[in-house]
Amino acid sequence: MATTRQWTTAVLPLALLAVLVVGFLAVGPLAGVESGSALPDVTVTHATMPNDETVTLHVVNSGPDAVTVSQVLIDEAYWTFDVSGADATLAPMERATVTVPYHWQPGWDLHTTLVLSGGATVGHTIVAPQQTPGLTGGLLWTLAVVGIFVGVVPVALGMLWFPLLQTLADRWLHAVLAFSAGVLGFLAFDAGFEALGLAGQVPGAYEGEVLVALGVVGTVLLVNAAAARGEGATPLRVAYLVALGVGLHNLAEGLAIGGAYALGRVSLGGFLVVGFMVHNVTEGPAVVAPLAREERPHPAHFVAIGALAGLPVILGGWIGSAAGSPTLGALFLAVGVGAIMQVVWEVAGLIRSTGQLGTRTNLLAAGAGLAVMYATDLLVAI
Amino acid sequence: MNYGRARAATGRLERRLVDGLDGEVSRRGVLGAIGVAGAGAAALSGGADAASESDGGGGGGDHHGGFGAAGEYGDGFDPHEFLRTFNTGYDGQAALDQRVVEEDGQRIREFDITAVDTTIEVAPGVEFEAWSFHGQVPGPTLRVTEGDLIRVNFTNGSRHAHTIHPHVRNTNPEMDGVPTNGPGVLETGESFTYEWRAQPAGVHLYHCHSLPLKAHIHRGLYGTLIVDPDPERVREHPEEYAPFHASQITPALREELVAEAKSRNHEYDENDAVDELVMVMNGFDTNFDGENEVYAVNTRAFAYGVGETDGRGEWAPGETKRPVTIDGQERQRVYLVNAIEFDPLNSFHTHSQFFDYYDHGTSLVPTHDTVDTILQTQAQRGIIELDYSEHDPGLYMFHAHQSEFAELGWMSFFEVV
Repeated sequence: MATTRQWTTAVLPLALLAVLVVGFLAVGPLAGVESGSALPDVTVTHATMPNDETVTLHVVNSGPDAVTVSQVLIDEAYWTFDVSGADATLAPMERATVTVPYHWQPGWDLHTTLVLSGGATVGHTIVAPQQTPGLTGGLLWTLAVVGIFVGVVPVALGMLWFPLLQTLADRWLHAVLAFSAGVLGFLAFDAGFEALGLAGQVPGAYEGEVLVALGVVGTVLLVNAAAARGEGATPLRVAYLVALGVGLHNLAEGLAIGGAYALGRVSLGGFLVVGFMVHNVTEGPAVVAPLAREERPHPAHFVAIGALAGLPVILGGWIGSAAGSPTLGALFLAVGVGAIMQVVWEVAGLIRSTGQLGTRTNLLAAGAGLAVMYATDLLVAI
Repeated sequence: MNYGRARAATGRLERRLVDGLDGEVSRRGVLGAIGVAGAGAAALSGGADAASESDGGGGGGDHHGGFGAAGEYGDGFDPHEFLRTFNTGYDGQAALDQRVVEEDGQRIREFDITAVDTTIEVAPGVEFEAWSFHGQVPGPTLRVTEGDLIRVNFTNGSRHAHTIHPHVRNTNPEMDGVPTNGPGVLETGESFTYEWRAQPAGVHLYHCHSLPLKAHIHRGLYGTLIVDPDPERVREHPEEYAPFHASQITPALREELVAEAKSRNHEYDENDAVDELVMVMNGFDTNFDGENEVYAVNTRAFAYGVGETDGRGEWAPGETKRPVTIDGQERQRVYLVNAIEFDPLNSFHTHSQFFDYYDHGTSLVPTHDTVDTILQTQAQRGIIELDYSEHDPGLYMFHAHQSEFAELGWMSFFEVV
């Protein structure tokens, strides 16, 4: 147990730091050596088009100083506008919407520019604008139905391979597990690159790339910490972990679908939904393969595993349609990558516990997993 | 100006604005209550007339009429006052030291001009770090008569080195105001007295000729220099003011030219019958990308526009954004100078009106008859003679017919009363 002395030693530097900070702010010894001020750092994260006579720009001030939006240009013309909140000045980290009454034409790009009080400009191009559907009960229902089709149904269908998996010889079961690892590996790369892409759109102060790294590494550490507390990786545990990894990936997939749909950037037509179904059906055997050598678990486990893997698509769709935030998107994707990396590690361990990992069959099966996912991914480009 | 009608229009617009604000408030209330950000929130308001009137007050309710800069200007330079302010040495801006002296029978118009760094407002709420003559952009309009000597006691109070280069027929290279001649550039705190012969008659400009030239001009170091023709000299040398040989000048033409010279010359009563306006077309690159974010005549974007309009025929003047009011029964003369940078050309176009144009103002017969659009390259200038006597009272637009310039601020109105 920590003694009083230990506590004192632990707290003392922090207390001194606090005193120093207060003193520094009160006295301001560096007032004479401040040189100028920081550059304004303002980002238009996205635009929404609530009706064909309105353009709404979502703005965040990521800089250390307050900024004032003095004028707004649409296609190099000054236009009247309205800034949400008390006035047109945004405090550091403050978000606001800039609403411009503008009769836009669907499909015709708009180049918008905010002119700040000091004359600096912040540009945002709205590519091929479409009306934003808006967060209504109808939209939530649509996204739920879509989520069931692209997330839950294919995972459930894939899980129907379980009886077959049980009858397979070790060699082929290992191949199926390696195939799942390939599938997951593809998802990790896919989500990783997507996360880094989104990171570029993250407002400066949030440090998009570092946020992605934190999401990946943090998740690996957290899942490991959770696993370390228990009695080791039982097959059921691995199955749940795989489901969690797949679920986090599907959450990010849902975010992308919801975000694109909310911004009017995607038509949730048959082709796209079918594409997602084909793409995600391979996730089914991945989540149940670890259980093939076990006593058949209680059916409730199958339902839970399937729900954990598939349902997050719906949740992601809802969040994505409401927030449309690249910061959130990048973070979710990064968490998904971390989870998947951990799962691939566990699957490898599962194979190693009952056989050899690096056989030709296993390596080819993992490669096939990557290839199948790449091929079906072509169907679902949003 | 018809203030009664303007008041009525303002009242109508205010009522509409208040109605619009009610909608706005309830919309915000809804948003606050459910606390949802982003797309969904904006979409919730879609059913209501989300656009309504703008708080900024620049344009108005209609989505096609809402163009123009939002908000009003703060204190400082007043383009409406600048429009009709001429410094002759006898009178002019109170704050500008000027005098007329005579030495050896030569009349000298003397002006004390200091270059200073200052901050100007080029669109409502948009500030621009300017280098200026006498703390204003454009610099003071100087007005003299042909044959005078112009003496400018120039002091540089800016942190950069500057000069004054005159666009007149100056026969002494030391007075040309360029880095290679005479005193060259004047460092901070230095002074020099420039003397220029006032010739030829016309509308000219003066500007700083320090390098880099683009920066020194577009930061604000330019002004108008008007040399009025001397009617006596016109009577003696009429061929110098018209595109004719001396043998072609008839007595009638000579009298016409003399009459036009009297109308131009601020020392003659005939000049009082004309409403004279100085318009310096300029632009401002606020974000250092080598393109202008703001275009204007006389610095402030849309300052001669309207305060409010619903885009459906109703309008009201604003506090600082309001049309140039002119008397339809008076003649108008515009001294137009192009001080734009970055764009090679600027233009001037009048709605429902054709005018006579005197390129550089150096002749007393028009160089362009009956046109409604003229083009000027950088530093080109000219005189525009307008006649609205047959027009019904009301708003008549004038603007650059480069639509881009117009929508970025060079958009103005005459209100004929």
